[in-house]
Amino acid sequence: MKGLCARFVKAPVLFLLFSMVFSLSLTRLPFYVSARDEASSAIGDADNALRHAFEAILEAERAGANVSGLIARLNEAGLFLAEAEIELRGGNSSGAVSEAHTCFVMTESIIEEASSIKASALAERRESLWQTMLFSLTGSTSFIVLLLIVWILLKVRYFEKLSKMKPEVASDVEA
Amino acid sequence: MLRLEDYKAVFATLGLIGVLLFASPTLGFVLRLPSGEKFSELWVLGPEHMAEDYPFNVGADVSYLVYVGVGNHMGSSAYYVVYVKFRSQSEPLPNATAGTPSPLEPLYEYRIFLEDGKSWEAPLNFSFSDVFFFERWSRVRTVRINDIAFGVNKLALWDVNNTGYYYQLFIELWIYNVGFELQFHNRFVDIWLNMTG
Repeated sequence: MKGLCARFVKAPVLFLLFSMVFSLSLTRLPFYVSARDEASSAIGDADNALRHAFEAILEAERAGANVSGLIARLNEAGLFLAEAEIELRGGNSSGAVSEAHTCFVMTESIIEEASSIKASALAERRESLWQTMLFSLTGSTSFIVLLLIVWILLKVRYFEKLSKMKPEVASDVEA
Repeated sequence: MLRLEDYKAVFATLGLIGVLLFASPTLGFVLRLPSGEKFSELWVLGPEHMAEDYPFNVGADVSYLVYVGVGNHMGSSAYYVVYVKFRSQSEPLPNATAGTPSPLEPLYEYRIFLEDGKSWEAPLNFSFSDVFFFERWSRVRTVRINDIAFGVNKLALWDVNNTGYYYQLFIELWIYNVGFELQFHNRFVDIWLNMTG
């Protein structure tokens, strides 16, 4: 009788213990999964931001701006993103999020500055183009006018010289 | 004495040359001369920055140093990613003919922005730990690259022809293309390593 009662008590207690342990492990699992997701998401955002910053710098470069300083800053931001990727591969999600966030913040100022120097470079290029076109036009016109003057003077001298020349009589003309 | 028509031809030629000379600065803004071939460089050098003294016979818990470098000759600034990977002899390398990377996951990476005509170089320190030898096999459990540990668990079979347990540390060069997608740039370099213990 005693043994039967003990068996009836043991089973539910064991079942209760097992359920508690199982549910505890389940509650920890979503936390791990969401930390990794958060890190991946942060890295994705930082990666996008870094690419946009590079696009902005390329556009500024095409406009003729000097982008050496911005490239150096972009390399610093790239270091943080690389560290974030490495941390994530190593399982350190919180480290990855921190590094990715630093990269993201750095790229924002780079994008602003790249747009600004692109606008300046375009304005300078436009100004330079107008000045060069003016120089070309003025120079070409002046040169053509000068050549025309020289041509006219040459023509006058040529006809003067021609009129002063005496016609020669040929000696073997038949009578 | 020259005829007037001859002088006309001389003056016309002089006029044309003069106009072209004065117009050339403006033409420089408009015309784009064809550029040369575009390419990138990837290299790995030994500890003395020379193409020699590469680590070959390696052991556990010893640090080795090489230098990885990239050069940009693409005509404009470029965004590169350098992946460091580790393989045993049975695992695939990148396929240079097909232009495809190795499917192995990278361990370490560098992200580099380079202006056209510039180059970049960085040290790559690596070491191995948890190295085991059993029967005709060797196993490497951990690779450390620049003080960061990566669990790898690579097995290498004893190579009868070359008498050793061979692994390879290889470096792939990837680039962001005009569509700003990361793609394998069909450049890789590698170092053969004989695990001696």
